[in-house]
Amino acid sequence: MKKHKKNRNVAIIGIGQTHHSSHREDVNQPEMIHEAVELALKDAGIGIEDVDALVHGNMELFEMVHQPDLWHVIGTGGYGKACYRVTTGGTTGATIVGVGDNIVASGLHDIVMIIGFEKQQEGHTTGGITNMADPLWARNLQTGALTGATAAKTIKEFGEDRAKRAAMRLRVTLDKHAALNPHAHRSFGLDYDQIDDLMANSPQLVGELRLIHMCSQSDGAVAIILACEEKAKKISKKPVWIRDHVTVHREETFNMFGINENQEVTHHNAARKLFGRNGITNPREYFDVFEMYDPSSWWGLDWLREFLQLEGDEHLKMVENDEVSINGSFPLNPSGGVISTNPIGATAALRVAEAALQVRGDAGAHQIPREVKHALASGFGGTFWTVLFMLEKDLDWQEAE
Amino acid sequence: MAKYFDVSVEDIFNTMEARFRVEGAKGVNAVLAYDISGDGGGKWLVEVRDDSVKVSKTDDLSGFSVKTAADAETFVGVNIGKIDGTQAFMSGKIKIEGDMALVAASAKMFTRYSLPKKSAVTVQGIFDTLLARFQPQNAAGLDIAVGYDITGDGGGQWTAVIKDGKCSLETGLRDNCAVVNIVKAKDYIDLILGKLDPMVAIGAGRLKLKGDMNIAMQLPKIFAKFEPPKEEDEQELIVIKRNISVDMKYSTGPVMGKFFEGLIEKKIFANKCPKCGRMQVPPREVCAECRCWAGDMIEVGPDGTITLIEIIYYSSPDPLTGETRETPYAQVHILLDGIGTEETFWHLLKNEDLADTQNGDRVRPVWNDKRVGSVHDIVHFKKIRD
Repeated sequence: MKKHKKNRNVAIIGIGQTHHSSHREDVNQPEMIHEAVELALKDAGIGIEDVDALVHGNMELFEMVHQPDLWHVIGTGGYGKACYRVTTGGTTGATIVGVGDNIVASGLHDIVMIIGFEKQQEGHTTGGITNMADPLWARNLQTGALTGATAAKTIKEFGEDRAKRAAMRLRVTLDKHAALNPHAHRSFGLDYDQIDDLMANSPQLVGELRLIHMCSQSDGAVAIILACEEKAKKISKKPVWIRDHVTVHREETFNMFGINENQEVTHHNAARKLFGRNGITNPREYFDVFEMYDPSSWWGLDWLREFLQLEGDEHLKMVENDEVSINGSFPLNPSGGVISTNPIGATAALRVAEAALQVRGDAGAHQIPREVKHALASGFGGTFWTVLFMLEKDLDWQEAE
Repeated sequence: MAKYFDVSVEDIFNTMEARFRVEGAKGVNAVLAYDISGDGGGKWLVEVRDDSVKVSKTDDLSGFSVKTAADAETFVGVNIGKIDGTQAFMSGKIKIEGDMALVAASAKMFTRYSLPKKSAVTVQGIFDTLLARFQPQNAAGLDIAVGYDITGDGGGQWTAVIKDGKCSLETGLRDNCAVVNIVKAKDYIDLILGKLDPMVAIGAGRLKLKGDMNIAMQLPKIFAKFEPPKEEDEQELIVIKRNISVDMKYSTGPVMGKFFEGLIEKKIFANKCPKCGRMQVPPREVCAECRCWAGDMIEVGPDGTITLIEIIYYSSPDPLTGETRETPYAQVHILLDGIGTEETFWHLLKNEDLADTQNGDRVRPVWNDKRVGSVHDIVHFKKIRD
């Protein structure tokens, strides 16, 4: 089997996440982070003294604290350690795992802890995201991460009723998944018989993007401990291997709305590269589970097509036939996804963490009911910035070459 | 009255006038209607007039600015913070009709309902400490039984038996009590805590002493003063509020600068990539795809064709002013004439055109009389109707 060159193998050996909610006023930032750090160390069965380096990430503009990693040292345990600070918007959580993967694979550090967090109720998320746009022009027009463009595009391509129904069906499916996840910020108890009602009555945000379609704003943190192969095999009974990750970046795309529909988006580009260099010809068959960064149901629906390199209406069919449900042939976001839980700096790292828990078989009530050997996890941010991870249960892909 | 989380719907409305915050209601002139269904529900009108509020129970909710409908449990739960309001709203348990912004504003107009603090002291608690409070040196030579008949909710009957400098406590009343204190539980607690004067209580008939008054008078010496357990104060979690307002200035550079100069002259400039030929508007120094300098400035538009309308219902803050934008309004992405097919121009649509404008319609900029080189040199685009 083809593989991407990596200096040495890297495994996830510890995972900890806080309880997520819209208001974690019971703790301050370092205290909240500490909850995740403690859980991850306990999960790995090591102490903070075993950790060589930290990678810390969030969106500074959301809480308006510059260099929060300094304040947070009391919660992270980073005193005297190498620390990297990364802030790449919604992508942050995935980028910090990527940095961790790279600095362990390179041989620089043996054990690295990545920490993603956000306390969105402390600031103004839409205001913060709006300030991300270039100050010369786009900032004056932007409305945070809200756009109805994908809804409009999907409706144009597949007809109003089918498109709206598929997006809402996906929404209900993921709400059912969130109900199984005790860490999830929110689950409304939605059912499929509410689809018509929600399609008509959920308040509109922008165009056909409705309130129920959109992700939450959450407070929460996640910590993931990565180790090189030698250490991982010593420490962990169930290491989850990061086989490869890819990150794709591009200039702002505010300038192509309503046109250029055939231009390759970064999700498609990232998946094409990742699958190509690892010899994955049929991702739907290869991967047992996909934890996607789905900020809205319209995007979740559309991005199935981009990531899985699907043609025509295959992605709609996957949702309509419940293939993406936890019991389906290609479970999507058994955790409930971003739509249920979204502490932004942690969100993309939670995708990797949840995918790894699935591989370990430790996801609990939202564990998919069959063995998970291969998992996919994505991050998204900016107007289009993709990070895509593939995780493996065994190191068997190495043997072929 | 049906209670939810120990609170009735009436409790919420009856305290609303007391919870009114004048400073949170400045400039508000609105009638908030509440239609609360289920046990303990009803209809209420809350009229906020700038610096005053009137809450009334009614059958007629007409003339409201916004109406909130919910079942009693959800309503109480949200008001006392036991149920997440957004969650309840999104799952359809709370329905809002009319000006939705007022619902958010009402959170500023009233302080949150809080449960009246219950006394931590109970009659049982007082008797639990009775033996510990016994003062043998003041009971020398006594051989008596003292009865307590504490009536009402939380009451009970006890007999303290004092003999040979020792005290024991029995439940129930002995027949041979030298004196029996008969008092309501609430009054007894107040007496013990010193909130109710014993002579006043006796005078008012709230404390009856059956038997030897003299012994009753000695009781405060025989038993030391009851010290209420220190109330375990729930720690108030202090939240620090900040409003950051910073003056910023951003250089535009020669390329964007040229574009802004053009706007002052009512001209829209794009630039062209010498390699792939694509046009960029607003112009950017390089073509990011070809990684080369894109120098040529070419005037385009000002008319164009809409490729996408985005109708915004969510009111986000205007980053320039911090003010909440009025909704709905529409953003449009426009292919300006002469731009080719690869680059849309992003701006606003005239509000009056919102109802009948669609993708493919032709639009034209409406120029601001005062142009300074900014996005606002164009007020908005309007539909061309000839």
